Amino acid sequence: MNPPEKKSLDLYAMTWRLPVIVWQTIFFVGPLLFMVAMSFFVVKNYRMVEAFEFTNWEKMLGRGYFWDSYLLTLGLASLSTVVAMLIAFPAAYALAFKVSDSARRWAIFLLIIPFFTSYLVRTFSWYVILAESGVINAILGYVGLGPYTMLNTKFGTIVGYMTLTLPLVVILQTFALANIDTRLVEAAHNLGCKPFATVWRVVIPLAKTGLIIAALFCFILSFGDFVAPYYLGGSKPPTLPILIIDTTKSGQQWPRAAVVAIMMMVTLFAVAFAALTAAYHKRGRS
Amino acid sequence: MSEPLLLFDNVVKRFGDFVAVKRMNLEIGKGEFIAIMGPSGCGKTTTLRMLAGLESPSEGEIRLDGRVMNNVKPHERDTPMVWQSLALFPFLNARENVEFGLKMRGLDAATRHQKALTWLDRLGMSEFAERDISTLSGGQKQRVALARSLVTEPQILLLDEPLSALDAHLVIRMQSVLTNLQRELGITFVYVTHSQSEAFAMADRVVIMSNGEVAQVGQPKDIYRAPANRFVAEFVGRNNIISGKVKSASKGKAVIDAPSGSYTVTADAMPKPGAEATFVISADLVRVTGSKPKAENAVAARLISEEFIGSVVTLFLESGDGTEFKVQVQERELATLDLKSAELLWLSWPAASAHLLPGG
Repeated sequence: MNPPEKKSLDLYAMTWRLPVIVWQTIFFVGPLLFMVAMSFFVVKNYRMVEAFEFTNWEKMLGRGYFWDSYLLTLGLASLSTVVAMLIAFPAAYALAFKVSDSARRWAIFLLIIPFFTSYLVRTFSWYVILAESGVINAILGYVGLGPYTMLNTKFGTIVGYMTLTLPLVVILQTFALANIDTRLVEAAHNLGCKPFATVWRVVIPLAKTGLIIAALFCFILSFGDFVAPYYLGGSKPPTLPILIIDTTKSGQQWPRAAVVAIMMMVTLFAVAFAALTAAYHKRGRS
Repeated sequence: MSEPLLLFDNVVKRFGDFVAVKRMNLEIGKGEFIAIMGPSGCGKTTTLRMLAGLESPSEGEIRLDGRVMNNVKPHERDTPMVWQSLALFPFLNARENVEFGLKMRGLDAATRHQKALTWLDRLGMSEFAERDISTLSGGQKQRVALARSLVTEPQILLLDEPLSALDAHLVIRMQSVLTNLQRELGITFVYVTHSQSEAFAMADRVVIMSNGEVAQVGQPKDIYRAPANRFVAEFVGRNNIISGKVKSASKGKAVIDAPSGSYTVTADAMPKPGAEATFVISADLVRVTGSKPKAENAVAARLISEEFIGSVVTLFLESGDGTEFKVQVQERELATLDLKSAELLWLSWPAASAHLLPGG
């Protein structure tokens, strides 16, 4: 009696799974494979022609400006991750341990509000603040400082990255910290561990998985972001997302842009794999 | 009592409107094993947390070795605690957990290592030193937690229901581990528990708490045989609590009229005739016989039910007026009584076995 029933159940389950599988195949796996194939195509007379040549790979990876962009993007995304994690931590710590439950709920709600508006719009609002004649320079001018150039600098890029990532990083860190067993924190104090040392020796190790995931999100979002380096960072030298746009615009070089995109994806896969391995690493049994 | 190490002087602890500990006065001696016992919410854990500095008293003073501890931060005290949840650090192995307190005191790696291994060895855990905490059994974790607290050689150890998560057979074994350790080290143990058997088996003195107040302090035997009030009599063991009016009192004996009969009890302080009085007769001091015995106190009662827990059986009986009696007898003794055919059983006890509660 059981086997036929089980079979019909499988069919039922399959029916519900099918839309997701079809969607993923058509709109994710398909295009991805096409992009890989496209990186071997050639462009003749501003037209893409199917081929299987390694010229795009040789041209892109053999050029200094690609690697300059690559290292710049890697460096900026890493810096963004470090800055966001450091700025977010005291806020997340306070939300997780120092405020009431209702205050924490309100804070999380307020941290979600930035996502209501387009990131692009929020980025443009920085012009008013960071420009040569902007708010910050006006205030500094009163005390006889400046003006400082903040737009079209790496500083501007990082400010833009923070606009994108900081609310999310605070939320993720708060959840990571709020879930730790506070009795272990008390135990550390009880064993003579000073409050600051306890954060380093007990709180962070306990929240490790959640904190690494927060950092990973920050890195992924910054690494792939086009808006901050383009509008606030001045796009010179270009980061990889800007390089993709530039490459497609100049001579319809979609195949070479595909090379850049694949390199970015490989990098993100490697970083995500390393981060998740570290996040879920359990001490070995001996 | 030995020289007091720890002193509670009119200590009050409030959480908002809730008073967790009401005006506590208590002295704890050097090298004493003291158990604080009571139902949940009685303030026993709050008391222990105040000793560790995890809570500070709202009023009064806690003094350790003469020093007022009220505002001493937890990490500045030397009052290690063994948690109910054990609170071992999952990201450190057994040895590293034990070393934690030593590291905080700035000891060098070699000394830490050696001390940690000595303590793990002492608790029979040396072969598990490098093991991950998650791979240890409940009893093994318990030993690591103990080693971690004792490795700094404190003069006092706080224990918050440390055995409540263990299997029954392990509890017995850990009890002897704890009492032996306490005797060998000669340090003060303050042990919070809701379990009477743990408290009575290990402690030199027991503090019974109820609703934030100390209901009685004394040696286990005194608390068991001479409860200070109704709460303690009800909380501790199986007692028959009988209330009535004093009919007469003379020559160290009082006669009390209760609904189920008239009883004679020995009394230190003579109650006034006509006053309300309550006495307890513990279930294991009552004799059961098939026919009316010659005894100072005897009451006829019908068997309602029995509870078999091994070598001891508790009988629940009811006298003619509906008063319930509890009697504990040895299982082998019970076999000699023909319970089924007996219409009425007789319960009896000498006057000296009954304990008159002070203050009625």
